[in-house]
Amino acid sequence: MDWINLILIPAIKSVILVVVLLTGFAYLTWVERKLIGRFQQRIGPNRAWKFGLGHPIADALKMIFKEETIPNYTDKILFALGPGLALAPSLLIFAVIPVGPTLRMFGKDIPFVVADVNIGLLWVLAVGGIGTYGTVLGGWASNNKYSLLGALRTSAQMLSYELPMGILIIALLLTTALGTADGSGTLNLVEIVRMDRPWWLWAWIWLAFPLYFICMLAETGRKPFDFPETENELVAGYQTEYGSIKFALYYMTEYLHVLGASGVAVSVFFGGWRGPFVEQFPGLGLLYFTIKLLAMVFLFIWASASVPRPRYDQLLKFCWTFLFPAALIYMAITAVGVVLL
Amino acid sequence: MSQTNPAVEKLRAQFEGAIQAESEFRGETTVTLRPQDLVAVARFLRDDPELRFNHLSNLTAVDWSKYPGHAAKERFSTVYQLLSTRSGQRLTLKVPAPSSDSPIVPSLTGLWPGANWPEREVYDLMGVKFDGHPDLRRILLPFNWPNHPLRKEIPRGGETVPFSMTWEDEEFASFGKQIVEAKAVPQVPPKQADANKHMILNMGPHHPATHGVLRVVVELDGERVVAAYPDLGYLHSGFEKQGESIRYKDFTLYTDRADYVSSMCTNLSYSLAVEKLMGVDIPRRAQVIRVIMAELQRLASHLLWLGTSVLDSAGVSHALLMYCFREREQILDILELVSGARLTTTYIRPGGVWRDVPPSFVERVQDVLDAFPKRIDEYERMVTHNPVWKSRTIGIGKLTQAQALAMSVTGPALRATGLAFDYRKTRPYSGYEAYDFEIPTATDGDLFARYLCRVAEMRQSLRIIEQALKNLPDGPVWTADRKMSLPPRQELDTSMEALIHHFKLNTEGFVPPVGEVYECAESPRGETGFYLVSDGTANPYRLHFRTPSFVNLQATDLMARGGFIADLVLIIGSVDITLGDVDR
Repeated sequence: MDWINLILIPAIKSVILVVVLLTGFAYLTWVERKLIGRFQQRIGPNRAWKFGLGHPIADALKMIFKEETIPNYTDKILFALGPGLALAPSLLIFAVIPVGPTLRMFGKDIPFVVADVNIGLLWVLAVGGIGTYGTVLGGWASNNKYSLLGALRTSAQMLSYELPMGILIIALLLTTALGTADGSGTLNLVEIVRMDRPWWLWAWIWLAFPLYFICMLAETGRKPFDFPETENELVAGYQTEYGSIKFALYYMTEYLHVLGASGVAVSVFFGGWRGPFVEQFPGLGLLYFTIKLLAMVFLFIWASASVPRPRYDQLLKFCWTFLFPAALIYMAITAVGVVLL
Repeated sequence: MSQTNPAVEKLRAQFEGAIQAESEFRGETTVTLRPQDLVAVARFLRDDPELRFNHLSNLTAVDWSKYPGHAAKERFSTVYQLLSTRSGQRLTLKVPAPSSDSPIVPSLTGLWPGANWPEREVYDLMGVKFDGHPDLRRILLPFNWPNHPLRKEIPRGGETVPFSMTWEDEEFASFGKQIVEAKAVPQVPPKQADANKHMILNMGPHHPATHGVLRVVVELDGERVVAAYPDLGYLHSGFEKQGESIRYKDFTLYTDRADYVSSMCTNLSYSLAVEKLMGVDIPRRAQVIRVIMAELQRLASHLLWLGTSVLDSAGVSHALLMYCFREREQILDILELVSGARLTTTYIRPGGVWRDVPPSFVERVQDVLDAFPKRIDEYERMVTHNPVWKSRTIGIGKLTQAQALAMSVTGPALRATGLAFDYRKTRPYSGYEAYDFEIPTATDGDLFARYLCRVAEMRQSLRIIEQALKNLPDGPVWTADRKMSLPPRQELDTSMEALIHHFKLNTEGFVPPVGEVYECAESPRGETGFYLVSDGTANPYRLHFRTPSFVNLQATDLMARGGFIADLVLIIGSVDITLGDVDR
């Protein structure tokens, strides 16, 4: 009995999640290329199959069958380890994100989350932090100056932006104290999504979203904050020396980060899978979650098509002189408010 | 000899015996100097408050060994074209180099630091040494090239190319080892760089930001640029040597391939130079068509610059690049309409333009005029007021007016420092004096100022095109001068001379008189000039190609020092180089 609940069901859920994520990543590249194409008045990929839907598959096949090269003068172990170290955490983030409500299937209540754990948000921060190692180690092991610069930039950028992001999350956690019965609050994403909040609390939470979104852009290293790779300056940054499937793994990581960060943002700011009629038809929750996730991804792509890239030092300065204080002030006001209420 | 040039009068009064000879050809004065007087004379010409020849517009050298009637004199001489940016006066200095085996003349780098690269080029291709040059190395050819190819005894082609990238080369052998064992690296080139203290980063020749095969060796302290050493020549194809063995009119094709982004403007400068050498007049209609084409090309070139410049700062996903390409496409279609080619047009040729424009031309250009102002407004909304773009460009890559003049920088980069210097106004050609337009300037000399200048220039180009289109006269588009134009068909039936003339023009080509000219035009990048020496045959004796990209690129190091590597990328972009134009 127990092993079914403890091992079999989570294992099945994990496998499904990983498969969905990996195909989802592939089609995310398609979505991005199509969207960027439209932004740029181009058509975008349209050769393989209808609407170019075969492109991600072709890309994947190409990446897998390309010759793998490991340059001389690299730290071969770390070089091979880097992409894996980067990819694993980006998948792990999804373990705690509830993608739908609890459904009754096969005579069992199955929550649509791999791990319904108390430390949900903490897990997100912790695992997200580990992801930096993959990038930094890969860049360092490449023994290429561009990779090195890219890796150093990554570490500085991630560390800096984790601070305001963490503080914003703390503020949001404080607000959960208003939602729980005993006023103790929760870190559990499943509970956070389920929580009912008054409209003014939602308004206050959404106030933090622009700040959080900027942090997200920087954390995921997406344009316009793609300093770890900045193709115009550093060729390809930390992944310059990588080819074939290793390159694809890094590429995957980037998109999974986007998906993961969007998933967290959707859960924390926009009520996750919740929406109209979801109580009557719990299956709708999955749809709502997907729609919200895609909307968030669209924001990412939109930003990349319309904003030039600031300079690296300007990004850090912006973090320390604006975002960090702003996040602190937001948290302080929230804390005072929570105590008073 | 009639004494007309006040500058020469002053020189005679100031420097007794320095002037060996003085000649005048097609309204340009050439003064021959003794080498030992060159620096003093040049300093006087530059600093004299009345003359102020403050712009060293061209520097090259000629090997006279095969020139008729020159056998007994010095084999090499260097040639300098000075220009006063205030009056538009030009003065050519010629300095015969004393020895014919190892010719040496004083360097002008002390007066114009911008003479550095042109002097290196002369040393590289001609073997003339410059006394007092800080860094006299080869620039376009590999360091171990066996000869100086522009010397007359060197045959064209047939050399075995000594590749410098061999394991014997200390630079090549040290690649890839620099992080692992920094101390083991003896000294990476360039020799001035300190490899033990700073990181030497090799950008290019294949790097996404260099807009072609440019290699920049960057000395970095963290991410700060200590110095940037551009390394050129990856695209060098010996245009000047090639020019000496083909007819004047055939070289027009090469001018397309040099600055392939603004071929019309390069065609125009070359045509102007040849026409000046021939002394022919161009009919009004051809001139107006030339102006329209040159301004359209300027628009296209600036659009490409704008798109790639934002690309440099934003990455490929930014939408502006494709917006610019959409508009550029409209212009390229017009180029294709008139010339049959989109990039290498060869439309403006010595003697006029290839053919008259087709009937739909006016309508198509009118479409451009109607569509563009709104589009440029749109770009400005996207970029000019964008705080991120401003923070990337304001105060970055600064160049003062004095620095720009010292480095011989021309074009928008010079105008961004506040000097309204534009050949279309200063020395009008092709009837530019008849148009009502302004020279946009900015004062800060930084990237943002250059950007503003170029965007404003696009609007001015539209103004010029509008006026030209309104006043497009009827008439022929090829010169009536029989020195360059074929006799009409019906004359061939009746006149023996016409038949011979027709035959000679088609086989031998037109033959200019003996003489030398320098003529330039304002291309989108700056001063594109041609220095032609004619020995009275149908091939140029010497053809020098002064390109704005080559000269302007020199200022990169000056602009990039102290900035970040991300700025360097934008700075290289803001110089707006075409590598074909740099390397030739």
